[in-house]
This record gives sequence, structure tokens and C-alpha cells, in this order.
Amino acid sequence: MKRNGVLLALLLGAATIALIAIGTIWPIPSALAFAGGQGLRPAPTTPEIAVRNLADDIKTRSWGRAYGSLANKAEFTQAEFQHDLTGYYQSLRSYAELDHYDVRPLHQSADDAVIRLDLYWSTMMGTSESTRDVHVVRNGNRWEAEWPLVKKPVVPPQVIPVNYLRWDVIYPTGGDDWGEQGVEAPHVRIIDMHPVQRAEGVVILGELLNEDVVPAYVSVDATLLSKDQKPLGTEGSFDKIMHVLLPKQVTPFFINFPNAQLSDVGSIRMTPFSTLVPASADPVIGIDSQHLNPVPNPSLTGNLINQSGQVVNVAHVLGTFYNKNGQVVWVADEYVDRALLPQTPVPFKIHIPEDLARSISSERTVVATYSTGGSV
Amino acid sequence: MRAGLTILAATFAVAAAQPGAAQNLTLPSSIAAGSAFTVQTQGSGNGTLYIVGLGQAIKRDVQLGSTVFFAAGSLYGAGQYTVVLTGAGANETEALTVTPSPDPGAVSFLARPSRLPVGLQDGITGAVYVFDPYKNLITKPENVSFDLTGPDGKTQTRTVPTVLGAAWTELDSTAHQGNDKFVARIGSVASTRVVGQVPGDPCSLKMTASPAGQDVRLQTDPIRDCSGNAIPDGTIVTFTENYRGGESTVDVPIKRGIAQVEMPAHPGATISVASGVMMGNQIRWER
Amino acid sequence: MQKTEPIDSSQKPIPLSLILLLAVAVHLPLMLMKLPLKSYDTNFHIFFASHYLHHWFNPWNVKWYAGFSQATYPPLPQQWIAVISPLFGLEMGYMVVQFAAILLLVVGVYRFSRLWVSPRAASFAALATVFLGSESFLVYSAGQLGTTSAAPLYLNALPYMYVWVREGGWRPFLKATALFAAAAAAHHATLLFGSFFFALPVLALAFLDDRGEKPTVSGFVMRTLVIVGVTTAAIIVVLLPFWIALIHYPVTQTPIPHPSRANYLLSPQWGLNYFIVPYGALILALPFIFWRGSMVPKLRPLLFGFWVAFMLGLGGTTPVGPILLRRAFEVITMERFSYWATLLALPFVGLLASELVSRYRVKAAGALAVAAAFTCALAVSWSTFHPADGGTLGIDSNAVAAWLNRDGHNQYRYVTLGFGNQIARLGRLTDADSVDGEWNSGRMLPELTKNGGGSLTNSKYFGADGLRALRAILMHASHYGLKWVIVRDPSYDPLLAFAGWRPVDNLDDKTIVIWAKDGIPPAQPLNAPQMPPRWQGLMWGIFPFGSSIFAFLVLLIPDKRREEEMEQYPVHREESLLPGRMIS
Repeated sequence: MKRNGVLLALLLGAATIALIAIGTIWPIPSALAFAGGQGLRPAPTTPEIAVRNLADDIKTRSWGRAYGSLANKAEFTQAEFQHDLTGYYQSLRSYAELDHYDVRPLHQSADDAVIRLDLYWSTMMGTSESTRDVHVVRNGNRWEAEWPLVKKPVVPPQVIPVNYLRWDVIYPTGGDDWGEQGVEAPHVRIIDMHPVQRAEGVVILGELLNEDVVPAYVSVDATLLSKDQKPLGTEGSFDKIMHVLLPKQVTPFFINFPNAQLSDVGSIRMTPFSTLVPASADPVIGIDSQHLNPVPNPSLTGNLINQSGQVVNVAHVLGTFYNKNGQVVWVADEYVDRALLPQTPVPFKIHIPEDLARSISSERTVVATYSTGGSV
Repeated sequence: MRAGLTILAATFAVAAAQPGAAQNLTLPSSIAAGSAFTVQTQGSGNGTLYIVGLGQAIKRDVQLGSTVFFAAGSLYGAGQYTVVLTGAGANETEALTVTPSPDPGAVSFLARPSRLPVGLQDGITGAVYVFDPYKNLITKPENVSFDLTGPDGKTQTRTVPTVLGAAWTELDSTAHQGNDKFVARIGSVASTRVVGQVPGDPCSLKMTASPAGQDVRLQTDPIRDCSGNAIPDGTIVTFTENYRGGESTVDVPIKRGIAQVEMPAHPGATISVASGVMMGNQIRWER
Repeated sequence: MQKTEPIDSSQKPIPLSLILLLAVAVHLPLMLMKLPLKSYDTNFHIFFASHYLHHWFNPWNVKWYAGFSQATYPPLPQQWIAVISPLFGLEMGYMVVQFAAILLLVVGVYRFSRLWVSPRAASFAALATVFLGSESFLVYSAGQLGTTSAAPLYLNALPYMYVWVREGGWRPFLKATALFAAAAAAHHATLLFGSFFFALPVLALAFLDDRGEKPTVSGFVMRTLVIVGVTTAAIIVVLLPFWIALIHYPVTQTPIPHPSRANYLLSPQWGLNYFIVPYGALILALPFIFWRGSMVPKLRPLLFGFWVAFMLGLGGTTPVGPILLRRAFEVITMERFSYWATLLALPFVGLLASELVSRYRVKAAGALAVAAAFTCALAVSWSTFHPADGGTLGIDSNAVAAWLNRDGHNQYRYVTLGFGNQIARLGRLTDADSVDGEWNSGRMLPELTKNGGGSLTNSKYFGADGLRALRAILMHASHYGLKWVIVRDPSYDPLLAFAGWRPVDNLDDKTIVIWAKDGIPPAQPLNAPQMPPRWQGLMWGIFPFGSSIFAFLVLLIPDKRREEEMEQYPVHREESLLPGRMIS
């Protein structure tokens, strides 16, 4: 009887330890997610493992451990390393978390290697991608990464004139005259609109013009109607539009109907909405060095230059792509996850679907901005 | 609360009254809203007189056989009323029509839009509803005068008769930006609205280029619409520079009538300017 | 097995009244301080109670998720809060119900432990309940009112079941069934999992126990089948709208991450939260539990129940959870398993304490008191060290509610960002409806169920999934009449600004900004198929609450036979074995 008891105790104890060991060596996915995607940390015996360990530390925001693992940490401080990843100024990256990453060896010898590290950040505005080519050096049996630090941009002292162009709105106070005059909503006009069938559903592309002399808050809703004029669904432009349009400004818009079929659509009812809003003409953003890059990996690249004196925390680049007849064939966008400092170029890259790239002959780019404490 | 109780009591009285009984009640068949009138009663003893309409009810304790006087302004809502006399054996109902007062007392004036481009034909709409001093819609035809005075002092006038109390007209915006004074008048009653006339689309958009260090400075001439009005500050002008293998664009707001910007100087670049859907001139930068 | 000398059998158990008095001394001040309000879920329960207070017979609550059914969550403790709230108010009503559950647990643990160990050891187990880390953790940090009120009902039911399956009799049968039904009305999961962790060991004990007259196999099987059948039927009836909702709308939404599913070794911060704090000094007793539970045949069923609950309570530290629970592992949170494991461990703890005190007297008592006090203190204070509200307790919900309630703002729906678990309090105070909520299993909006995020107000803490859900709901703002976004966390500002919202007002010294979107139509009621019909509303208002009243009434029936029975059971000889005296 007692032997059975001892055996049982040993069995349960051993099973407990074994199950804990299994769960720790081969963690289940949910446990792995909370551990920052890593199980037991392997020794950096290869360049790839060294970079993976570094990326895992970045993911779990273990800045001290990540910095401590670097071969070139003497060249910069931990704070600089951290700010290089999270942004020196408040930006989308400040609140972003590393969602996942990819590593690709580009080169390797006995003593050093170059690993491409693609970092996919989860930001407020979606996934943002950044790439670093990390040089890895051998140190005895271990490999250590040299972090390619991008130094904090230095803005030279300068004087930048401010527009001070600003609109405020005063609404009428209540009166009992029902014919009392209100303030007219800004006049806006859809100047182009095309439905397109894509694999993910129906997409409506177009452009909207503020033809008024006052700034307008705009949005566009679209309702797909079946052939017997029954509504199939209503969607809006959400953030695929520039919501505040200054006088004579044009914005593209992009409305997505997931899982819809264009063949089921009889007609489309477009509902542009506009209203008066307070607005400012600042900041002015220049878009420099725009290039339409051909297939493979077609994209529109360029640099944003903040021509104003204030820091722009988030910039949203909207590209409208036209065919040779001047028709809109695609609208795409990208959020720049770095702050725009005055007169400091910041690159952007908008991806274009490969199947459409060949039909694109020109493009037009606009930028919406957000500054802390302000609005778009 | 008291008015509500009066209406309730009057409603019961109307329901209880027997139409077509002996002739104890004499009153005019029709009166103008707000005018004084009398009701002659017959018989003796005390009674109660009710006058009940859709929006108003009056109750009076009366001495039967006397004349009941209603001062001006007592009955002010236009429409059909029922007059009921009850008490001391009297139980009689008569109809009374109250018509709107013949003198206009107010107009409701809707002017649209509040803001429009210059030189737009039939762009301004004015609509008027004519009311008497008691806010009854006057349905008999009246002539309404619409006067639109532009920023240059010139006035367009239209006189339109009302149809069932309403009159409307369409007027052109003038060639000059500024505020129009839009007045609707009927007799001595008038209502004023302000309509803003704003410049139209840029008519001729022309820029010049000059070197500015490593950049090229682009500046438009004063931008005006086809009527010569200055395009307002803040209007966006887009400068586009196309050079070999690349493009640069800047959306610049007009300030003090012109738009200006500095862009990278690429030899052989073609620079164009536009505002909204209006294209301007093109410059080829060779330096 | 050699016989050993029994230790002093004259040692009497600690009087239950004294233990209850101690529970009052420890927990009543904390309740009067309303400490549970700092926990994760307290406001959630009060929100549900608030709905029952105003709509007792209509479980459809439009204040969250543009409408959801409260029949997706057993209502008993919340209905009790609603019932007593006219006297105490909703918040203090919650404290009263929670406090009653704590006292009931002391009694339940004593009675449950008496099945396994001597009266003295059982009294030590009941004493340990007062200081139990997992209980304090669930009450003051997690706010799991359902779990902490169902467990005592369940534990009190088990001894009646034990008597019934061994000897029959209508009294224990009626009492067990009534208490089981009431426990189910308080928390369905407790009953479901409790059947495996608690009931099966008790049934095994009832069959194997050599105290008194052993039941015949056929009698045992028959009575077991009868009580299982009748209890199942009672539970089906009591919670019928819940089962209907579960069958028609099973929880198929994308799993939401919960740190109780972490590996506590790889993520030590969660190990501290979900293992060290709930177990406290009980960790020191684990070797004893394994050893004594294995050595004493009578205790083996209890050991097995404990071991499975213990392994599941370790969350993602072992693969046991996903293997045994399958998809349920991704839906339910795992800290409740640790709670059940500690309850199952209490008879062992009572045994250990009893033996230590018998042997080492004051020294042992002192050491145990220190360990118990430390365990309780850590668990109670954990809500301060690791605030569940994420610093949101200071949010002026009254000001936000007042803003929503005035000027027709409540014609539109709203969502908050950065409000943590204060959304339940705000939901209770305002007339306006929200598309957010804290009851994930009750939500049906596809924008929320398709993405693996929890409450929208905490979107960013759920990473890409949470932000996808937030974007999806904002994208359909017009459909839901969602005009207001009330923001206390500026990191969301860029999203709102680019999506077309703009700040229109601010509150609480500009720490809360109200964003609005132009052109949104007023909110319309959603004609959801999940809306329970009127007869289900009536059932929901009558049966769950009625089950508790019924249980209370049947408990008033004298139980003489049971008292005699307990007296007849001698102290099991192996209980009195001291570890040092065990010889081979």
C-alpha cells in the first residue's frame, strides 16, 4: 500500500515537472505570444540567432538587454538606441509595438555577416515596415550584432515664416425665425469616380474637389445598389481620404466593399459630405523626388519635406495613380511613422498592386498631417 | 394648465351641445383674426359660452340675453371655430370662421445660398412666406418685392405675387465679390439677408521662376477670377516639377494674392502650376 | 501500513463561529472601504446588476455592443445586488453580496473538508479560507463575483451529495440539488468544471470510504444517476435562456489573448500575478499535498482533483490546458482553476496545520499565522501594486456621463478610449449607448468578434488585433450612429484625426477629450436576432433568483440525520499520522 503511495507521489511529481518542462521548452502559441514570441533564449551561436535574439528583445521592449547584446554599444547610448527605434520625436512609432519580424542573411563569412532585419510595427494606423541591414561579428563562440544607428536628425538654426492663414467658424446663435440664415456647407464635387473589381472585393476610387473658398471637412460614402436597385451595402472612405480640404484642394478617395462582386452591382450611389470646420493652411509639405518604380515591387517613393517651422508628428501620404488617358486607376496610401522636422526630408514608399502598375503612367500625391494637439 | 382645462371643458361642452336648437345665439359668420366682435345671446339666467378652435379656446360665463363683447386680439388664430352656449336650458352651437388679418405683419424669408461664386445666373434663390401680425399665413395674393443690392451698389428688383402665401424668385450673382444685401418686402414689412459673393475659379494662372541658390523660386502673378476678383488667401495652388526620372509637388496656399514656393532646381525640369481643376502656365527650367 | 499511535484526540476543532468572526474582522473593513472597486470585473457586475434593477424581466441590454443579451451570463449574484441595492446602493450592494460569499465559503470549506479530514483539520482548513490568497486575489484584484459566489454554494452542496449517494434520503437529495442549481445560477463554469474537480472525487470517496456502512454498488450507481439527472434537469430549467443563447450563438469569435494563458516561467511577471499571489504560502504546502495525498488512499481522489486543477491553473506553463480544454482554453481565463485548486488543497492544508500545531504548538501556530497573514496581505494589496484599473480609477465618469446625458448627445452612440474597466461604471451612469463593452462572450458585432481584441477602450493593449477591431468599428460609425469618441489616451488621436473625427469638447481639466464625427445619423436600435423573447425574459427573472430562494428555504429543513452521521464518523486513523512518524 505504502509502495503504491510512494510510486503515485513520484509519478505525479515527475509528471508535473515533465509537463512544465515541455510547456517551457516548446511553449504553446498563447504562451509564446506573451513571452514576446520567444521561448527559452538560445545562445547566439549563429549570426541569425544573434539578430533574432535582438529582435525579440526589441519586441518585448527589453531595451537594456538588447543594448547590452550589441557589439558596437560603445558608439552610442542606450537612450539613443531606444530612440532610434521608437522615434526621437513623438510619432506613430512612439506608441507602436513590434508585431513581428523577418531575418534574411545577405552575406556571411567566418567572422562576420550581414543580416537583413525587416521589422513590422503595429501602429495606430496599421502595420508599418522598416528594414535594417545588421552587421554581425563573431566574438569567440558568440555572435554579436552591430546596430546600424540612424543618428538624431539635426535641424540647423533658421527662420521659417509662418502663414498664419487660419479659418474659424462662428455658428449662428439660436433664434425663433425658422427662415433664419445658416452658414452654407462648403461646395464640394466628385470630379472622378471608378468602381474596380479586385480579388478582395469591389473598390471605388475617385477624386473630390473643394470648389469653395472656405475649408471643408469632407467624407464620401458609397452605397452599392443591385440591379433591382436594392442596397447591397454602404461603406465610407474612412481614412483613405484627406478629410480637411483647403479651397481648391483635391483629395483622392478609396472605398472598399469587402467580398462584393461588381457583377452584382447595378448602380452606385455616391454621397459626398461636407461641412465647415476651423482649419489652418500650415504646415506646407513638399513632396520631393517622387519616382514610380516599375515591377517587380512597383511602388511610388519620394521624400516629404516639411516647409513649415512646426514639427509634424504624423504624415499620411495619399497617391492617386492615372492611366495615360488621365483616368484614376488606383489610390494607395502610407503613413509615415517618423516625425517630419522642418526642412528635413523623410522618405516614403507607397506600394502599388503589380497587376495595375503597367497601366499607370502618372500620379498625384497629397499629404495630410497631424501635429500633437492639432488635427488633420 | 388652465388653458388645457378650458379646452377640455369646452370639448365636453361641444360634445354635449345639440346643434340646430332654438335660435339663442347671434354672431358674425366670419371675422378677421384679432378683430373685436360681439355675440348676442337670448333668454334669461346664467350660461356659459365656449369658442373652440384647433389652437385656441375661450370660455365666458354669460348672462343670457346680454351681448358678449370680445376685445381686439381675443381670437387670433385663423381657422374654423365652434361657438357653444350652454346653461339655463340653452344648448346651442354655431360656427365661426376666423380669416387671417388682411395686413401683413411678418415675412419668413429664406435666402439660399449664403455664399456663391460671382457671375452665376439664377444662383440666388429667395423664398418668402407672408404672415399677419398673429402669424397666420395670408393666403390671398400679395405682391412681394425682392431687392438684391450688390457690393457695387447696383440693385436687382423683382416683384412677385404670392401664391397661397408663398412667393419666390431667382436672381443672378453680380460680377463683384463682397456681400449682397437681399431684402424681401411687402408693404412696410421687410426682412433682410446677406449673401456672400465669392470669387470664382482662377481665370489666368501664371507663374514666373527665378533662381534662389540651389533652388528655383516660383511665384505666381496675383491670381484673379475671370471677373477680376482676387482669389482669396488660403486657396491651394499646386506646383509640380517634372524632371528626368522624378517629380516634386507642393501644395501652397495663396497669401496676399499670390502663391510662392522654392523647389529643387533640376536642369531641364518642366514646372507647371494648377489650382483645383484650373491649369496655369508651364516653365522649362534650363539652368 | 503500520499502525501508529494516535495523537491527542481530545484536541477540539476551532469553533466555526470564531472563524466566521475572524472572516468578518479581516474582510468587512475591506468591503466597507469598497476595495473590490479597484478590481478588473467589479464594475462589470455592478453594470449588469444596474440593468436588472431597471429591467428585471428583460435581459436585453442596449448600453453595450449596440445591444446584447445578459442571458449569456448567469445572473444570480448580480440579481441579488439589484435586489438589495435599494437599501445599500449598487456599489455597497455588491460588497454585501461578495461579503456573504466569503462567509459562505468558510462554511463550505469546513463542510467539504469534513468529508476528507478530521473536524479539527477541517476547522484549520476553514480558518485558512479567511486568508486564502486566491480568494483575496479573485475578490480584490479580479473581481470575479460569479466564481467566488458559486464556489461556496457548490462546496456546501457536496456534503449533501455525499450523504445522498451513500445512504439516500430526501433531505440531502433536495438540499444538494437546490444548492447545485443555485451554484449554476451563480456561475455555470464552476458547476461544469466543479463536477470534475470536486464532485468526482467526492463520489469516489463516497464509494470507497470505509466510515460507516458502505453503500451497495447498485444503490450507489442508482443514486448517483438520479442526482446527476435531476440536477442536470434543474440546471437546464434554471438557466434555459442561457443554454438557448449558447446553442444558437456559440462563442466562435476570434480568441482574445489573456495573460493567464502565459507560461509563468517564460513570463515571470504573469507567474507572479497568477501563481505566486493566489497561492502565497500554500506553495510551501505543495510537497505535503503530493506526498500525503498519494500516501493516504482516502485522499487520493482529492489529490487527483487538485492536481488537474493545479495543472490547468498553470495556464500556458504546461500543455495540459490546450490538451484537456481544447478550444475552451482560448475562451476562458485560467486563474479560476488556481482558485479551485487552492480550495481543493485546503483539506490538506488543514491537515498539515493541525498536525504542525499539535506537534510544535505555539511555534507552529505563530509560523502559520505569519504565513497566512503574508499570503492574505499580498493578495489583498496586489490591486495596489498591480492595479487592475491601469490608473483609470481617477477618471471622472460622472462628468463624462453628465456630458453624454445633456443636449441630446445621447441620441448617438459613443466609445471610450483609455478608460480601462471604468467603461462599466460610465455605462451605468449614462443614458447613452456604446458599441463597446466588457462582456466579450456576449458581443455579437462582427467588427469585434472577427478580431481578437477585448474591449475597444483597451484596443492598443491587444496589439494589431485590437487596433483592427477599433478601426473596423470606426469605419462603420454611420451604421451604428457612433458619433462620440471619448479619449483619455492621446496615443489614439492620430487615428481619430485621420479617420475624420475632430475634438469638440474636453472634460476633467482637459484630460478627457471628446471627439466627434460630422454627418453621423442618430443611433437606431439594432434589430438583433439574439434578442431574447419575452418568455425567456420572464424565466430569467424568475428561475435563477428563485433557485437561491428555494435553496435557502430547503436548508431550513432540519437535518438531524446528517448531524448524527457526522458524529458517527471517527477520525480516520491515517489522518493522524505525523510526517515524521511515518515508518515503512
